[in-house]
Amino acid sequence: MKRILMTVALAAGVMAYAGGFRVSLQGVKQLAMAHTSAHAEDASVAFFNPAGISFIPAKLSVAAGGFGVSNKITFQNTSTLQQTQTDNPLGTPIYAAIAYKVMDQLSVGFSFSTPFGSTIEWPTNWEGAEMVEKLELKSFFFQPMVSVKLAPWASFGASYIYARGKVDWTKKVTQLDGRLNLLDDEATGHGFGFGFYFQPDSQWDVSVAYRSPVDMKAENGKATFNVSSALYPNIGLAATGGVDSFKATLPLVDEITLGATYKVTPKWLISADFNYHGWERYNKLTLDFANAPVGNQSDPTILVAPKNFKNTKTFRIGTQYMVTDMIAARAGWYYDESPYSDENFIPETPSFDNYVVTAGVGLKFNKLGVDLSGAYAMPESRKVNNKYNSFYGQAKANVFYFGLGLSYNAF
Amino acid sequence: MKKIFLSSIAASLLFAVSCQTDFDNSTEDVVVTSGDANFSKYVALGNSLTAGYRDGALYVDGQNESYPVMLSTQMKLAGGGEFKVPLMKDNNGGLLFAGNKIANTKLYIKSFTNGSPDIDSANSGTPTTEVTSVLTGGFNNMGVPGAKVAHLLAPGFGNPMGVPAKTANPYFVRFASSPTTSVIADFKSQNPTFFSLWIGNNDALLYALAGADDTAETLTPADQFDTYYNALVAQIKSTGAKGVIANIPDVTSIPSLTTIPYNPLTSSVLGQGNVAAGEATIDNLNANLYGPLNQILTALNAGNRIKPLSKTGANPLLIKDESLTNLSAQITYAASMSGNPTLIALSGYLGATYGQARQTTATDLIPLTTKGKIGSTQALPTGIPASLGARGISYPFADKYVLIPQEITAISTAINSYNATIKKAATDNGYAFFDANAKMGELNSASGIQWDGVKYTAKFVTGGAFSLDGVHLTGRGYAIIANEFLKAINTKYKSNLPMVNPNSYSGVKFP
Repeated sequence: MKRILMTVALAAGVMAYAGGFRVSLQGVKQLAMAHTSAHAEDASVAFFNPAGISFIPAKLSVAAGGFGVSNKITFQNTSTLQQTQTDNPLGTPIYAAIAYKVMDQLSVGFSFSTPFGSTIEWPTNWEGAEMVEKLELKSFFFQPMVSVKLAPWASFGASYIYARGKVDWTKKVTQLDGRLNLLDDEATGHGFGFGFYFQPDSQWDVSVAYRSPVDMKAENGKATFNVSSALYPNIGLAATGGVDSFKATLPLVDEITLGATYKVTPKWLISADFNYHGWERYNKLTLDFANAPVGNQSDPTILVAPKNFKNTKTFRIGTQYMVTDMIAARAGWYYDESPYSDENFIPETPSFDNYVVTAGVGLKFNKLGVDLSGAYAMPESRKVNNKYNSFYGQAKANVFYFGLGLSYNAF
Repeated sequence: MKKIFLSSIAASLLFAVSCQTDFDNSTEDVVVTSGDANFSKYVALGNSLTAGYRDGALYVDGQNESYPVMLSTQMKLAGGGEFKVPLMKDNNGGLLFAGNKIANTKLYIKSFTNGSPDIDSANSGTPTTEVTSVLTGGFNNMGVPGAKVAHLLAPGFGNPMGVPAKTANPYFVRFASSPTTSVIADFKSQNPTFFSLWIGNNDALLYALAGADDTAETLTPADQFDTYYNALVAQIKSTGAKGVIANIPDVTSIPSLTTIPYNPLTSSVLGQGNVAAGEATIDNLNANLYGPLNQILTALNAGNRIKPLSKTGANPLLIKDESLTNLSAQITYAASMSGNPTLIALSGYLGATYGQARQTTATDLIPLTTKGKIGSTQALPTGIPASLGARGISYPFADKYVLIPQEITAISTAINSYNATIKKAATDNGYAFFDANAKMGELNSASGIQWDGVKYTAKFVTGGAFSLDGVHLTGRGYAIIANEFLKAINTKYKSNLPMVNPNSYSGVKFP
């Protein structure tokens, strides 16, 4: 388990491109069709809706895949005319799922995914360095699930979510002429998901799913003040050499998904999805330091930063055409809202209203499916009008993704 | 159904394509222009704030982070020329005159003791810049530390012969074109196309920093200020240069005058860290000085002047307030009639020393420089116990160590009047105007001034804007000022000089 986690940790440097730090890349086939959810051909449906595993046309199905996310954020300060670009590493969200029909009415499954994350690297000493120079957020969801058929055309499934996460945040502390690093790689959280999946006739798939919020709790984070040692007594850290501990909770928010797929002809299908994300839960971030009086509350060790995220909606539409029995051609389009207004733009998790076009091909070799997909995002450039931090200017982003997925319906 | 889906896909794709992903106006494409101004020859006039003086000295790094250097850097994007600065010889500052030290090196934080900075002079207080090694060539930054308005008009203000008698300014001596010239003459001879003028602070500031002691410094009378200032602006106007003028911040809101509380005397302070010793000192002072004085003054209906010290609280300083009715004779009489042999023996001294003594209140201001003088020894006449010679504790601080409300009011009134002159000069002559008083007031507020997440206030050391002398700014503080100059210039002359980023300059250096 530990080794898996380590490998995963290395692989999963992922990046938020829209919608806060939710990374909607949990199915390669799905991404090709705008990341729509009502596709029960294989185990990759497990993340989208636990009820979906009841309709996988195989007793045992496995699916896995990975993505590459390339992105670059540019900030320009219209008063200094300074432009700054991020130097983000390639993000690599991954997923794996397995589903097994214990009996006709009962299926079990397991999903591993990295649905939230962000790695952003601004240049050292850039103008927003007081807020962030580097922020790495990672999450790993482990979801065992069970699904029962309520009727031949309807199922109900539920999952338990165990989440682990990491935060590694470096920012400048200009007034102390140094830097602060916040690190916790042992944050954990719990949640659940459930959903209904319907196949009322041979033409329709309907998926309704809910995934609960997961509050990632960092209980014993490490705060390292890289400042002159002469200042340690002033920040209450003389005994520890500038190191403090902190507590914080980062909400990974809930999501409601309504999806439907309609087979226009046996070869051609169209899917649409609607997602609702509960970003309002992230209205502020509270850092509770053990000793350092660097806060802004009546208790001077507590730092509260307003985030003021708002709930968001995503609209997705995708299509697939079976060119031959072996080759599927796919395309899609979706629109994803930024969870905050220009007044609340923060450079540690830059977000944009995002239009994305997607495409991909699927190849079927008997029981094995190989899927390729790519997407090009057109994030809308936006004003930055953050009064709380006196951070003003404009921001834009360049993002594209590609993915390779495998699925195997064993028997 | 098919059609609907297809058309909606097509429509949304179109929408997607039409959405704006790029900046509507990239800053990389912005052409910086000078508008109606001509920045080819910019010359800055002013005092220490213009020179880039900080940490109690003028030194190279500070000079390179002066606001005129910042302005000139931005002006270079719109036709601005070279900007020459009369750089000091080193990064420690201080001056030698014919080999003798006449100005100390810069202050630096040696360490922190109980959270308070332990401040000392750099390079063991040894300057290397020799005033008489005069620099040649015109200089664009003509800020002269210590200069008042009238000084900029004064011929011979750069004459080395005048330095010992203080009729000349050593900083101007270093770059004056001749011993007989004046600052304004050297300014005019450079044919500037653009100027900045920030002068007048010292007409009030030096007086305030001297504790409003008239024997040490003078507060320039408002009518004189008006005369000199308008004469100066008339000279500047004769060059035809366009420019920007700034007014004077209220000098009573700078950390140098607001950092030391009026009541710094705790048991711990009096015992130099040893609370028990401090309490013993308080008992002793109350029994032999504060108690008897309070009794006598109470009988004279002036019991509020001096009250016994508290062992648990923070006690005020003892000062001489020349605005008080002198009760010398009454105190002497009362002491001589007290029946207490000690008081009787000291009665003449007590009357002479404490006739106008009182304890400080929240309305007094204690200059930062007074801190080191608290408890320093005053030489007493023979026969007087040495324990009565601790300045501010048992011996009243002289006028120069404290600003009392009457003095603060006089200074503020003068500054208001100076600022009226300055504003009128800017308006009448059509120059850009920067309200430095308002901006420094903002800095002095609790919310301070924020830039990209960094908050600057007027708090000493931790506020980030003021340097270790508590009067002059840090590079970051000067950058905040530079931005206001830039805004005023852009507004007046329709230029679009970009702002500077204060966070990218240097602040207070920590050990």
